[in-house]
This record gives sequence, C-alpha cells and structure tokens, in this order.
Amino acid sequence: MNWVGLQMLRNDKAKFLAMILAVAMAVFLMQNQAAILASILTMTASQIRDVQDADIWVTEPDIECFDQVKPMRDIALHKVRGLDGVDWAAPMLKVDALARPHNGKLNTVTILGVDDSTLVGLPCKMRLGNAADIRQIDCALIDPGGYALFFPGQALELGKTIRIHDRRLRIVGISEASPPFSGLPVLHTTRSLATALNRGEERMTSFILAKSSCRTNPSEVCERIATATGLRARTTDQFSHDSMVFYGNQGIPTLFIVTIAIGLVVGASITGQTFLMFVKENSRHLAMLKVVGTTGRQLGAMIAAQAGLVLVIGSCIGTGIAALICEVVRKQPFLRGLFLPWEIALITVATLCLVTGGAVFISFRHVQRLEPATVFR
Amino acid sequence: MNTQTSQAVECISVRKHFGDGEARIEVLRGVDYSAARGQLSFLVGPSGCGKTTLISVIAGLLDTTAGDVTLFGESLAGMPEKQRVLFRRRNLGFVFQQYNLLPALNAAENAAVPLLAAGVKRAEAVERAGELLDRLGLGNRTKSFPRQLSGGQQQRVALARALIHEPRLIVCDEPTAALDHATGESVMELLANAAVHPDRAVIVVTHDNRVFHFADVIAHMDDGQIRHVETRQTAHSPDQSFSA
Repeated sequence: MNWVGLQMLRNDKAKFLAMILAVAMAVFLMQNQAAILASILTMTASQIRDVQDADIWVTEPDIECFDQVKPMRDIALHKVRGLDGVDWAAPMLKVDALARPHNGKLNTVTILGVDDSTLVGLPCKMRLGNAADIRQIDCALIDPGGYALFFPGQALELGKTIRIHDRRLRIVGISEASPPFSGLPVLHTTRSLATALNRGEERMTSFILAKSSCRTNPSEVCERIATATGLRARTTDQFSHDSMVFYGNQGIPTLFIVTIAIGLVVGASITGQTFLMFVKENSRHLAMLKVVGTTGRQLGAMIAAQAGLVLVIGSCIGTGIAALICEVVRKQPFLRGLFLPWEIALITVATLCLVTGGAVFISFRHVQRLEPATVFR
Repeated sequence: MNTQTSQAVECISVRKHFGDGEARIEVLRGVDYSAARGQLSFLVGPSGCGKTTLISVIAGLLDTTAGDVTLFGESLAGMPEKQRVLFRRRNLGFVFQQYNLLPALNAAENAAVPLLAAGVKRAEAVERAGELLDRLGLGNRTKSFPRQLSGGQQQRVALARALIHEPRLIVCDEPTAALDHATGESVMELLANAAVHPDRAVIVVTHDNRVFHFADVIAHMDDGQIRHVETRQTAHSPDQSFSA
C-alpha cells in the first residue's frame, strides 16, 4: 500500500514540490550556517593543530587561546626541558606586524617564529618550496591566503618580497597553513628573524612547544609542567578546545544558532503544514481506503512513506547545495577553511526528520479519526 | 435470478442515533432487514430516511446504538475494530455514487486496490484487475486514469474494484445517480450480470426508479424504518417488475 501512497503524493505535484523545496531550503540553511559556525570555531584552533611534531603547548598561566600572546621568560624553556616525561621543548614567537609588498597594500600579518635549529612548529605540508629555506637570511613562508592578498591575481611563485618595518622578506615557500580565525596572512620564519621584527619587545617566546616521551601520557606531563613551573600546559587537543571555548563564549555561536533555529522552524512548519493539508485534502480517498479494508497500520506506513520520500529527496537536494556552496566558496584563499562536517549533515537531517515526524503523527491522528462512512456522503 | 434464501445480512431491531441531548437525531428506529445470497436487493426511500446510515451499519463502518447486525452468521456487535476491518476486506465490496477512484492510479491499479490492501503483490494484483476490467468491457482502458474516463467507465472501474477480491457482499450506494439513463442502465446490467452470484448478496441503495426492474427484492424505507418489502413474486406489475 505504500506504493499507492507514493503515487497519491506524486500526483499532487504542487504540494510534493512545495514540501521538497521547504525541506531542501531548511536543510541547506541549517547545514550552511552550522558549517560556517563549525568552520569558524575550527579556525580558532587551526594554528595549534597545524603543529604536528609537538603535543604539548606551554603558555603563561592566564592564556586561554592562541591569539592571546603574553611573552614568557626564557628561563621557562629550560625549566620545561628539565622535567621528567618531556622529550624535547622548543620556543615559538608570535608577532603581529604591518607588511607591504612592493607597490602593494599595507596589511597586518601574523608572524610565527620557530626555533632556528629544529624548525619545530612549521606546518607539515607545503604547497610550494622548501620549508627549511627559511634558515636563509630574511626569508619566510607565507600561507595561500596571504599570498592572494599581497599578490592578487598572480600565480604562486617563489622569490617575491614583502617589507616589514625596514626589512625586505623574501618568500621562499607557500605553506598549507590552515586559515586563521583572525583572517590575517600567516608568515612562518625563524625565531631570530621574528625577534628582529618584534620591535620594542625583549622577550622572545610566546609559546613553548614540547613533546612528551613515548611512555608518558601527555596530560600527565602537562600537569607535571604546570606544577613545576606555574605555567599553563595543555595538550594540543586541550589547547584547541580552550581556544574554541574562548571564542564560543564571545556570543558568535548564538547568532548562528538563531539562524539555524529559524531554518528549522520555517522549514518544518512549511513542510508540516503542507503535508497536513495534503492529507486533509485526500481525506475522502483515505476514507475510501479504510472502507475497502486498509488497516490503520497500513495507512500509517503509507503516510510515513510519503513523508520519508519528501525528506529523502529534500535532504539530498539541501545537502547537495550546501556541499556545493562549500566547495565553491573554499576555493577563495581566505575561505579555504570552510567545510561541511558529515556530523552536521547527519544531525540537521535527523533534526528535521524528528520535527517532520511530528507532522506525520498529527496527520496520522487525523486519518485515524477519519470516519470511513464519510465516503458515502 | 437465483432464489436461494439463505440470509447474508440480518439486521435485528437496529437503532442508530447521532448527537446527544437536543441535538440527538434518531436515524434508524428499530430496523429489521435481511438480504439473501444470490439476490440483488434494493433499498429505496426518500432522502434522509436512513438508507446510507443503514448500509454503513451493515458494512461495519458505523456502530449501532442498539440491535445487532449479522453478516454471514457473524455478529458485528462484539467484533473488535481491527477484526472488523479485516472482515470487511475479505467479505465486502463497495460501489459509490461518486466512484471514489484514486486520481493517481490508472484503471487497473484502482481496481486492484483491495488486493493491494490484502497484501497481494502489485504486479499480480494489477494483472488480475486488468483481466477483470477486460471482462467488464474496459480491456482497452486499463491504463487510463480516472480523468480520462467517462462517468460510466469510471463506475465500471469501481465495480471491478468491488468485485476483484470476490467478496460475499457488495454494497452499492446510488451507483447510477451520477449517470445518464442509458449509462445507468448499462452499469446496472453489468452489476446484475457480474456481481450477482449464488454465494453473494448485493445491496443497492438507490433513488433511481428507472432501474428498479433489476431488483429481486426492494425494501422501502422511510423515517428510519423499513416500511415494506416487495419481491419479484409479490410485485403487482404485469411484467413482474417493480412499480416506481
């Protein structure tokens, strides 16, 4: 009998289309907004996750995210290196400075200075060039977003220069650094050069990157570092989470959640109302089916099949549009961090299923109450 | 016509009212009625006399307020709803004034609906419906949708839907009311030839006195009661058909 129900649905093309569009738009809106929110929150920790050789981040005690910079004393590095469970530790300096390409626009950049000897803290993938070349004098790596900003419309090419203060930095590599939450271009260079660019600040360390020894749990090592030095030590996952929570508490998610809720309410109400209208308009036919011996369970399955078909088609279209837009948008260098996690796709569709389930239930109650004898009137 | 007298339907002192208090309406006021197998029984009377309510009660679509309805020896009074639905599915066929065909299904699929409800596979159900439609003279219209069929053709599809599962009782509500005389006559002829069967009773509710001559028995109803019953044998007309 489900087939009969689906034929009835297909026959009412206007309502069938309206319901599919409502589901598709709701799914798209929810997924798009949720994907942007997830991408933004992920970006708050992108520079932390880019560092894959270290698993512990040590900062001043009151630091809550990567973008907060409070210089540390050099002695801290030696203290961390001397602790049990720490394999090695290396400094990283984070500096914001103004940069300008030849005949180009002035822009603020984030400079990440990594340990000169070990180069710990560089992104693990390069799009162009060799990361170790930053050891050459006044050389740096730049992320794709930064390159597009400084050299708009130009193909990726090494050897271009940008000026920071009175120094001319040569680009020796294009890194695959993840897009930062700040949206600023990211330059990776040696800590010695970053220090030179960091005018007016004597301290040379923003973070200490450490590696726990293979037999030790990184969380335990973090506790040991915190106890011994009074500094804040977090694993990569913990520090990423801290960053996301820090920005999450700034109110950004609330704005997105409001839009997501609007998408859900509008989509579900249009779908639910149209579906109920469809069922009511077919009351006479449903009553006839009851008269000829269709059971309540069969009618319930028919209604569920009708709603299921609308949901499947609408969800596929909505998810397809959301994924397509993500793919198109992420081609922009500064929006390359946008992604649609499968969990979001699943949760949004499941939420809509749940709400539409309510409409199916109300429709089924209507059919249950339908007096079969009305078919004679 | 078959004169077998074993009763298919028996209504004993059936009462039915709608509403309560001042809004209470007594529609059936102690109806005693029976319909025999192998006969085409007409139920006639003025509008509002309770004919449709009586067939709804007989078909188990409405509960009685008092009295009992027995179909093929089984009382509907104590039958649970689900069992009643299954009983209806097995034993009853329906023909309605407005045909009530599903616009989304073609003729064969519409005729196959009772089989589909009974769980018969679609291909088999539609094939059987196609064969039946062929016997009813619609072999070339099995794939036509209701909107592509005339009133008479639609009623023939409805008749096929009523017959497809070989029920023991067919209930027809004003089957010729929406048709012109010639078409109504041919539909009734088809009903009399195809539906009447020694093991089956057919009850037709109608206003249309032009088709009374098809009846084996006519029960006249008025004001919620059966006033009198005419059989072909007791009819006064010289040709032994019923008076209008």
